[in-house]
Parts: sequence; structure tokens; C-alpha cells
Amino acid sequence: MIIQAVSWGWTEILWVALIGFALVFVLLVALIFIMKGFGACFRMRTATIGKKQVVAPQPMISQEEIAAIATALKIYKSVLHDSESEVVTILSIKRAYSPWNSKIHGLTQLPDRK
Amino acid sequence: MWTLLTSSSSFVWDSLETFAESTGVAALVEGMGWRPLAMIVVAFVLLYLAIKHKFEPLLLLTIAFGMLLTNLPGANMFHTELFEGGHVHWDIFVANAGLLDYLYLGVKLGIYPCLIFLGVGAMTDFGPLIANPKSFLLGAAAQLGIFLTFIGAYALKFSPEQAASIGIIGGADGPTSIYLTAILAPELLGPIAVAAYSYMALVPVIQPPIMRLLTTEKERKIKMRQLRPVSKTEKILFPLIITVIIALLLPSAAPLVGCLMLGNLMKECGVVDRLSKTVQNELMNIVVIFLGITVGATATADAFLNPQTLKILVLGVIAFSFGTAGGVLLAKVMNLFLKEGNKINPLIGSAGVSAVPMAARVSQTEGQKADPSNFLLMHAMGPNVAGVVGSAVAAGILLSFLA
Repeated sequence: MIIQAVSWGWTEILWVALIGFALVFVLLVALIFIMKGFGACFRMRTATIGKKQVVAPQPMISQEEIAAIATALKIYKSVLHDSESEVVTILSIKRAYSPWNSKIHGLTQLPDRK
Repeated sequence: MWTLLTSSSSFVWDSLETFAESTGVAALVEGMGWRPLAMIVVAFVLLYLAIKHKFEPLLLLTIAFGMLLTNLPGANMFHTELFEGGHVHWDIFVANAGLLDYLYLGVKLGIYPCLIFLGVGAMTDFGPLIANPKSFLLGAAAQLGIFLTFIGAYALKFSPEQAASIGIIGGADGPTSIYLTAILAPELLGPIAVAAYSYMALVPVIQPPIMRLLTTEKERKIKMRQLRPVSKTEKILFPLIITVIIALLLPSAAPLVGCLMLGNLMKECGVVDRLSKTVQNELMNIVVIFLGITVGATATADAFLNPQTLKILVLGVIAFSFGTAGGVLLAKVMNLFLKEGNKINPLIGSAGVSAVPMAARVSQTEGQKADPSNFLLMHAMGPNVAGVVGSAVAAGILLSFLA
């Protein structure tokens, strides 16, 4: 648009290439600074919120207590599952008749008009 | 009955003759010569590459089919004369246009590339770039190929507008190449699109030798520090900030960057999941079909079968190679100024060409060849998405100079 009236020659081409590449750099470097500033603001904000939300440190528990908790957890987890025989058995399904699993009794019966 | 039929034998003969003359075979034999046939062969070769070797099949298949349709004589689906001189000739458009002419309006008016960018934005995670903004530098350096090829193309007697359109192949960004070429040099759209997408498919072949040539074994083994976590608020504000800044500083790049960032905002804000999924899948797929088939349709025998196409293909490789080298070399230069522990693995510089995510994958693969415990993928995604922004900015700059 701006160079419409200019007759193109080597000088113009080289300048366009140089300025174009420099502009890409300038724009993206500007974005770096903006993003860095933006990131710094966020980190500061997160740090401030973090400071406000500092919870009181938990009182230290003794090593005996830790050992007791660990032993209790181990015992609890060891009894959590029975040891299995690892033999897979397939039980046959018994389909004994009952009015409760009979399809016909589950359907709405029409009134038997005589 | 027989007499009745034989009395009109001349009519039957004339009708058959008219029908035979209207077929594509007659057109092929009479006036069109070998050129459309050669283009049909090229279309079949591209179809073979897309189907058998899976070279960017989503685009190459549709482009090749568009090429096939436009070169079949007599089909009259695409008319170059309706778009002669870089303008749509609306006065004769409705009376003469075929199906592909109507679909081509999406390319000519710059609609499809922007819609593709909408989908690309919705599929891209800008987190690695936000966590490490220095990646923008690598994205900028990888645009070196665009401007060097611009000079090279001018040296090969292309006009400045054509040279800029050829140079943009170095950005490794299909939609941007199509967007710029449709405005500056529509007569080269077919060869440029084919070159851009073919070379994007060949990124794993073109880049590794250049990366290995420009780096030492020690540099390839550099392990980078883990990226910081990026909050959701940062990810939401990023597309808004980039859109405002780019649109204010470089309005000619606003359509591409704006669409890219709108797609990303849809993904990150999390309140328009339906829209995000639509632009990532349905809309993207529909536009890819239209874009591919119409770009292929511009590759007519006259536009494709000439020495210019060969020059464009050679210049395309050069553009790609310089882009890759630019990113790698700048990463090496940056390492001179960075402290130990903050150093950049130069292999991620090559991802600054924007072929997302193929170029980042190449960095990861090459890094793992040097050290199998090194994971560069997320680090390479930073320059990779910076390259998308960078090539759109480069296109905007070239447009503002030349359009």
C-alpha cells in the first residue's frame, strides 16, 4: 500500500526483507516483555494469596507415634484382603422357578372379563 | 416403423456427433494436448502419496482431487477467468460460475484460512509459551527463511508480491501461506499450497539433518528446567492480550491472529465447550474439505506446468531449511548469555517453524536420540506455537508493505 508508487528494485527488496524481519523480532520481543510482566504479576499475586492463607504449622509428633501409626496401617492393610486360591471357578446359575422371577407374573394382566 | 426410423438417420447421426463433441475426451484430443493429461497424472501421484504414504492426507488428498477435477476437460467446474487480475469478476460470476468457483470464494475472500486458524487455536495449548516467553524469540528467528527466500525469489525474477508469497512457505504454515498468496499472487496459489503442505509433511525428513549439522552432541544432550505451572486465569488472559496488542500494532495480521486467539479462548475459558468442540472437529473438517478442493482446483495446467513451479518447489525447501537453521542458531546464541542450568537445548529452536505439532515432535525425537532420558516435547511446544504467531505476524508485515 505504502510502496505502491515506488518502482521495485534491489534496494527496496533488501530494505523490505530487513525491516520485515526486524519488525517480527521487535513485535515478538515486545510480547516477551508483556508476558514476563504479566507472569511476574501473577506470581506476586499467588505469593500474596499464599501468605494470607498460611496455616499454622502442625505440631510435631514423636517418632514412637509415627511408628505406631505405621504399624496400625500395616496391620489394617494386611487384613484388608483374604489370600485367594487363584483358582477361578464358575458357578452355575440356578434358575429355579419362582413367581418372583417369572416373566408372566411381572406383566400387567388384562382383566379377565367373562 | 422401420421407414420412420431410417428417414431421420441424419438426425441421429448429428445428435451422436454433438454428444461426442461435448465429451471431455473430444476436448482432450482436439485442443488441449498433453498438459491436462500431465496434470491428471500429477493429481494421481499426489493421491498416491496421501493415501499410501500418508503425507498430510487430510489436505493433500483433497488438494489432489481438486486438481483432478479442474483438469478434467469439459467439466467446467473452475474458471480462472472469473478471478483474473486478482479480483472476483462479479459481473460475469453468476452466469458462468461452476461449483468450485463458488467454493473458491472462501479462499479468495480470506475466509477459510481464518476459520482453520480458529480450529488450530482451539486445539493448541499456549501453556508452554506462557511459562517460557523467551520461546517467542525462537519463533521470530525461525521466520528467517521467509525473508531470505523473499530475496531469493526476487533474484529468480519473481515480482515482489510473488516473492513474498513464495517466502511465506518458510513459515511452514499452510493457512497463512494460502491467506497471503490469495491476496498477493493468486496465480501461484496452486503450486504454493502444494509446496507448503508437501514440505510440512516432510518436516521429519528435512529438519533432522540441519539440526544435527548445526549442533554438537553435548548441546543435544542439554536437559532443560521444568516449566512452571500456568494458571487458568493466565491462559484466559493470554489470547485477549495478544489479540489486542497484535491488532493495534499490526492490523493486517489481525484476522489470522484474532481467529487463532478466539479459538484458544473458547478452549481455555471452559464455558463454551460445545463451540470449542465444534471448531476443533466439525467446522475444521468442513473447512479443510472446501479449502483443499478449491486450492487444488487452482492448479490448472497453465498455472502449474511451467518452470515457475519448479522454482517454487526449490525455493520452498530453501525457505524451510533457513527457517529451521534460524531457530537452532538463535538458541545457540541465547545459550551464550544464559546461566548454567537455564540453558536451552538448541534442538527446540527448529520447532520455531510453525508446523504444529510435527516440528515439536521432531525436536523430541532428535533429543531422545542423543539422550533417551531427555524429554523436550513440552519445551519445543513453546517455540512451535510462537512460530504460528510469528508467521502470522510476518504475513501481516508483508501484506502491509505489498498489498
